[in-house]
Amino acid sequence: MSNEREKQRHIHGSNVSRRSVLKAGVAGAATLAAPGLLIGRAHAAGEHMDLDSFMGAGIDWHMADGAQINIGVIPAGYFKNLEAVLPDFKTLTGVDARLEMIPPGQIRQKAVLDLSSKTGTYASHSADPMYYQLYVTNGWIDPLDDYLGNGKLTDNKWFDFEDIQPGHRGATSVDGRPYGIPFDGEATIQIYRKDVYDAAGIGPAETLEEYESNAAKIHDPDNRLWGCALRGFRGAGQNMYIYPSIFRSYGGEWFDGDRITVDTPEALGALEYYVKLLNNYAPKGVENWNWPDIADAFGQGTVGSYIDAHGSAAVVANPEKSKVVGKIGFARWPKGPSGKRVTSIWNWSFPINGALTDKQKQATWLFNQWAGSREVQVATSYAFPGAYKRTGANRASLWEDPKFLDLMGKFGHNYVQAATESFANDTDPDWRPRLPQWPAVGDTMATAIQSALVGQATPADALKDAQKKIDKILKT
Amino acid sequence: MLVSAASLLLLVWVFPLLWAILVSLKSENEVLAYPPNLIFEPIAQNYKDALFGDFSIVPSLVTSTIVAVSTTFLTIVLAVPAAYAFARLRLPAKKTLGFYTLATQMVPPVGLVIPYFLILNRVNWLDTYQGMIIVYLTFSLPFAIWLMVSYMEDIPLEMEEAALLDKASRLQTLWHIIIPQVRGGIAVTVIFVFLNAWNEFLFAVQLGGNTVRPVTVAMYNFVSVEQTLWAKLAAAALIAMLPVVIIGIAAQKQIVKGLTVGAVKGGGRR
Repeated sequence: MSNEREKQRHIHGSNVSRRSVLKAGVAGAATLAAPGLLIGRAHAAGEHMDLDSFMGAGIDWHMADGAQINIGVIPAGYFKNLEAVLPDFKTLTGVDARLEMIPPGQIRQKAVLDLSSKTGTYASHSADPMYYQLYVTNGWIDPLDDYLGNGKLTDNKWFDFEDIQPGHRGATSVDGRPYGIPFDGEATIQIYRKDVYDAAGIGPAETLEEYESNAAKIHDPDNRLWGCALRGFRGAGQNMYIYPSIFRSYGGEWFDGDRITVDTPEALGALEYYVKLLNNYAPKGVENWNWPDIADAFGQGTVGSYIDAHGSAAVVANPEKSKVVGKIGFARWPKGPSGKRVTSIWNWSFPINGALTDKQKQATWLFNQWAGSREVQVATSYAFPGAYKRTGANRASLWEDPKFLDLMGKFGHNYVQAATESFANDTDPDWRPRLPQWPAVGDTMATAIQSALVGQATPADALKDAQKKIDKILKT
Repeated sequence: MLVSAASLLLLVWVFPLLWAILVSLKSENEVLAYPPNLIFEPIAQNYKDALFGDFSIVPSLVTSTIVAVSTTFLTIVLAVPAAYAFARLRLPAKKTLGFYTLATQMVPPVGLVIPYFLILNRVNWLDTYQGMIIVYLTFSLPFAIWLMVSYMEDIPLEMEEAALLDKASRLQTLWHIIIPQVRGGIAVTVIFVFLNAWNEFLFAVQLGGNTVRPVTVAMYNFVSVEQTLWAKLAAAALIAMLPVVIIGIAAQKQIVKGLTVGAVKGGGRR
């Protein structure tokens, strides 16, 4: 049986298209009553293999037939692709799953409102990994090991949970128990203008120090080229996205026992570095820049380098938006004084709302499993016929799949290597302090970082002030 | 002198709009060009994408229209008699009631999101038209009543007394005497209520869903986590502006009259 599965996976990996997925769906609807037959037919008719590979999982996909579930997601290309293949899920399971697009700024509040009032409006939602502590402490979502370990619900030989990027699995686990199935995630990497670096006789930075000296060497604002840019906008997901990596690579530790420490010497070193770097070499107004602004500026050729999600390559390498296509190089995060490179473990994942009925929970688990499966990851990434190609596919094995790598390699010099090595070596689940009070802590830190950046406070004072506020937050 | 000062003011006011129009006619690449190209080949693609593309706003425009029109209609139907009662009838505790009407306007809307969410959930009206319209009525109605009272109070009592002497009932008086007199006020109220319901975002995003997804929420499709599609966003915003502009022009005469007559300065809740 497992041999057969191997074979199917192999065939599938090499020969899947949107049309075949759809056709498989239609054919599947007609023949679902006899799944055994389908497996038999798989090899005769190559087009039907996609649904067959789902049938290869030893579970009853129809266990929650007729259930209806709502899934809240953000309006992003990867979820749009998922929505496009969603009819196949209905065919496979009989579950009516609907995606609802919620603006990224509001999805957290909306999810918390739903979970805390136990209304069960969203069976699952694209969850921020930093919110799991809050969800779990309140018992709002179900631990997934109960589902993963139940042979009736999951065939892990088929699903292969361990194939999902370890950093992302770590980020959606609490005390070692998984609570979310990562769908799309990222690593943070260095993105630079290879032509400019080459002309200056420099390469991508190995250390943070070198990153600064690189920026100095190419910095030429009179000719509208600034040395570098990092997220400066205030927010738990903005400047508090980039600073934690610097903090950790300076050797900072968020926890001292139960206490959160943000005013240690390492923290100060990190903040001073960030403030000095941006004040010297970033465009004016960088304190209001978020990642799209940075990517836009880089695409216009006015920023020589930035460090951000590997997914932003899709923007800067898009000829419709960017003028620097073909001139881009990529590299891992530079090492900090501690010798560590620390990338974000950001990902959007699907939990299971604890307020659902048992049947809905089953349906939701089927959805989570389906969306996280290798088959759907392939169908929504390189095999997707639309213009949008996902870069954040959740599986390590995809980063070994020649078809996926072929597509990724087109973004520019060293992209695949930088991304794979970052995923493998640089992810750090403790990149940001994981605790239920994260929303308030993240916000406090974001304010402190920005006030230091714009000179309202010295880095030392900003951190001291933040420490006081955070101590108070944790006491209440 | 006055004219040039006025045109300067107008320019300041109109600049963002002009900018949005220019952006909506450019390609995403041109939007970000520096220095900005003033001469470029205008394209209609952004409008096509906003209307018929992957993230079409057309269904949301329909939703917004249903919500805003129903809210406006119900508000006027309820606010006119209520305002008349406040202006003319001898009600017990009139002052207290008048104050109470406004009290709901004094709570910051964000403080009402959770109660509204829980109530609507209890009656199963989350993500329904009736739920959204009732929530909108809770802030449009007090505002409309308060606005209409000032118009009603401006009508000379004698006109009404004449009607009453001719044995008209209260309702007949309201219909035949008062309403024709406050047509301007009603037009102004319609504009403000429609505008607020059309542009509302906070309740729309928290209490709506796939069924009720007004255009203010749908526009966020162009502000993704990955990037902001400025040109398509501008096109969508300009399309969404149209209905308000049309209603504004249609009622302009009444508004100007209303501004000179009554107490309409400053807007309602946005």
